[in-house]
Amino acid sequence: MKLWWLWRKRERELEKEIQHHLQMAAKERRERGASARDAAAGARREFGNVELVKEVARDAWGWRWLENLYEDLRYGLRVLRQSPAFTLAAVLAIALGVGINVGIFSVLNGVALRLLPIPHAEQVVSVNQVLHGRFSREVHGEGGLVSYPEYLDYRDHNGVFSGLAAYEPFVEVTLAGSRMEQLYGALTTCNFFDVLNEHPAQGRGFTDSDCTAPGANPVVVVSDDLWRRNFRADPALLGKTILLNQTSYTVIGIAPRAFSGTEMLPTAFWVPITMQKALDAGEDYLAADNLSWLAMLGRVRPGVSRKQVRADLSVIAGRIDRRYPGRTTSLVISTATFFGRPDEREVLVPVTSVILTAFGLVLLIACANVSNLLLARASVRHKEMALRLSIGASRWRLVRQLLTESLLLSLAGGALGSLLAFWSFASITRLVASALPREVSALTVNVAPDIQVLAYALALTMVTGIAFGLIPALKSSRLDLNTALKGDSAQFSSGKKSGRFVRNSLVGAQVAVCMVLLLAAGLLLRGLNRAQTVDPGFDMKNVVVALLNLKIQGYDETRATAYVRGLQESVAGLPGVTDIAQAESAPLSHDRSGGDFFVPGRDERLGIGYNRVTPEYLSVVGIPIVRGRGFGQDDWRGASSVIVTESTARRLWPGEDPLGKTLRQSGVGEYSVIGVAKDAQVSQLGEPDTTFLYFPAGPRDNLRTYMLVRFSGGSTPIAKGIRDAMQSLDPNMLVDVGKLEDYLEVWRAPSRIASVLAGSLGGLALLLASIGVYGMASYSVSRSVREIGIRMALGANPAEVMRLVLRRAMWPVLLGGLIGVAGCAAVSWVLSSLLFGLGAHDPIAFISVPMFLLMVALVASYIPARRAMRVEPVVALRYE
Amino acid sequence: MSERYKNRIELLQGTLDLLILQTLLWGPQHGYGVSQAIRANSGDLLQVDAGSLYPALHRLEKQKWIGADWKISENKQEVKVYRLTAAGRKQLMKERSRWEQISDAIGGVLNPAK
Repeated sequence: MKLWWLWRKRERELEKEIQHHLQMAAKERRERGASARDAAAGARREFGNVELVKEVARDAWGWRWLENLYEDLRYGLRVLRQSPAFTLAAVLAIALGVGINVGIFSVLNGVALRLLPIPHAEQVVSVNQVLHGRFSREVHGEGGLVSYPEYLDYRDHNGVFSGLAAYEPFVEVTLAGSRMEQLYGALTTCNFFDVLNEHPAQGRGFTDSDCTAPGANPVVVVSDDLWRRNFRADPALLGKTILLNQTSYTVIGIAPRAFSGTEMLPTAFWVPITMQKALDAGEDYLAADNLSWLAMLGRVRPGVSRKQVRADLSVIAGRIDRRYPGRTTSLVISTATFFGRPDEREVLVPVTSVILTAFGLVLLIACANVSNLLLARASVRHKEMALRLSIGASRWRLVRQLLTESLLLSLAGGALGSLLAFWSFASITRLVASALPREVSALTVNVAPDIQVLAYALALTMVTGIAFGLIPALKSSRLDLNTALKGDSAQFSSGKKSGRFVRNSLVGAQVAVCMVLLLAAGLLLRGLNRAQTVDPGFDMKNVVVALLNLKIQGYDETRATAYVRGLQESVAGLPGVTDIAQAESAPLSHDRSGGDFFVPGRDERLGIGYNRVTPEYLSVVGIPIVRGRGFGQDDWRGASSVIVTESTARRLWPGEDPLGKTLRQSGVGEYSVIGVAKDAQVSQLGEPDTTFLYFPAGPRDNLRTYMLVRFSGGSTPIAKGIRDAMQSLDPNMLVDVGKLEDYLEVWRAPSRIASVLAGSLGGLALLLASIGVYGMASYSVSRSVREIGIRMALGANPAEVMRLVLRRAMWPVLLGGLIGVAGCAAVSWVLSSLLFGLGAHDPIAFISVPMFLLMVALVASYIPARRAMRVEPVVALRYE
Repeated sequence: MSERYKNRIELLQGTLDLLILQTLLWGPQHGYGVSQAIRANSGDLLQVDAGSLYPALHRLEKQKWIGADWKISENKQEVKVYRLTAAGRKQLMKERSRWEQISDAIGGVLNPAK
């Protein structure tokens, strides 16, 4: 804008200066005796071409490009207005392509790039440890988190932060009230709100006096959402007490509405870290030196660079390493976002790249369509181009003109698409989130456009404009002036091989890209189907599962054992119940335990997942013992017996009898194998070959246990019976009862989302590509009407003409399709985690999808081919 | 179409710049004044046409060898008046000595040493 203003000013000045010159010259002529009119005319004559002088003077200032741009824009707008149908088609295609890309980027931005919604968020960094070497460490949450003593080291010895806070991100807590409710809260150090510079809207945040001694400060800051939802926005809540995990806490503050914590999942409340033992029900983490459980956020002092932060903290990390021989710590320091810790990034990056690529491919197809439209139009405009070239415009000037038109198109399309995206993606995200498993459906993503999204949209739009505009611009500005001006339009388009080659390549590329997307969608659908029909190796029908989370409801081991025993008795009495078992985790429940195991005398350590189960477990879930025996009543937690799966036995003792062999867990104990169980997909659906162990459960496991009940008949009365039994034993009991089969749903959800996503992208791609094929075919028909007419006049029958047209149209489709199939075969392994054991080259998908695409392409080219067949030779020969 | 003018500017460039700078050495002038001064001082021999003059003035202005101010003329009109800057003065010296060299050189060729 400023540039524009400067330019206008200079134009005015130039005009004034020249007028002055003319007046002076005229005045002098008058003084020499010329008449007023002659003087003015003479002065003008002597001056020469005023506009030309202006133009050369402007050149001196280097303003020429601006003026050219202005001309190009004006001309471009006029040209686009002249062909509204073309403009509309192109703008819509680009709007679609750019829109979905901007939309998905705004989601990713909300997930991973957006800064925390706190004052000066750019100063706040997340500090994570990445540990290397041979060491053992307990992990609660993510491996990159730190222990409390480690946090104190970083806090007290750094010279780069104005404050460093730590918090345990997800503490699962039961809030007592009119009904029991499960919430996720955070345990924080008392400088948490000060470091974030985010102060409660009502009441106060924590001060140092809230963190005096373990267990001494039962205070809580609740989120605005919790305050409104559970306490009906009660203005008198401050100072009252609420019951969290059976301990009462005084509400001292209510967080502002816009602050939902520092994690993807909104935090419902914050409690001082000194209350850890009470909130985490019994386990003391504060003293544990070698435990990953706290995330750290530091506010960097003004003027301190990231490099300085890293150097300063690395010294402290090095000092900590000295306490643990064999361990080396490297630090990951990044500006804090909702999803930025290294363990989270590890999940995010591959998923993101696959998604962005898929969306980008659709845009690519749209670009190819617009390119083809432009190329087709170029044959109409070639006379205009020839004329401009012949009166002295340079080719570069024409290319620039054509690119300006493309950019105008892409800007219009990009703006429209971005607006649609901003408007619709908030609701789309909510829809997707609601399809996610219950635990994460509360996740909130702020998809509102910010500067990063706008920059992305603009960059994408510009790149798009150049991508689809460059080839047509280069092609249509290269002309044989002679023939072009003579008006033989046919030579330009259909006669010349290279013109058709470019357009065919574009169609081929569209089909190839479309094939990749459709194949991916096909594979995902097959995977989804498989997830519904897969045999997980255990019998999940006719089993009801109840999660008894007694620890967080204030139970100790004795009371928990009594409760579980009582529940077992009343459930066993329900009609239809045949067997009852307990386990630390239900199969496929995403509740997993694991440890480092090794065979004594060997160097190799293996991370193996395990479950602690009661003797009835294996028979309740229908996993047979293939060798040795199952657990008996004498096997209790702490006993040295273990049951291994077949895969584990094969992996650890290949070719040997595993019975009686010894297995040792680092730092825990030694076990001997008493039996071998059949492999089952208990921890990962679709992966039967993972190693797995079963240990006997003991009374301690009653604090948190899954009760699995096998029954015959209907599940509803059994589930209701269990619910009633649980509440009759303790009316406050939080009840979570469901069918074992329902756990499959959680596994299917990502694959369902992915297949819906891939399916809709594939559908869009198919639509765009078939428009491309159709456009190409009908264009080539309309260009070769004369040729067809001659052929028919010479005796070709309509069927032959049809074959000719179809052959021409299908060549690029076939070639592109082949390339697409090969391309997809090369990259389809990225989907393998969603295919549940289905091969990434599943023949059914790889045969049916290409057939389907070919059919669609055939139909798309059949319609114009039929038109060609009806060509009247006489009309055709007179054509043009 | 602008090629014709460009050629002539290039032909005159060094000399015209020199003439303009020299003219402005006597004091600030507007564009028309510069052309008239060159004409008068060369005994009507050198006529600088507007198509060369204004581009040259603007180019010199952009190079900061001359500055421009807007003044009100006696007939109450805004007039753009050019003046020599310090850098322009230096440039003038350079151009002058270069011109003298060329002039000497050509003179030497035309009148070989006796």
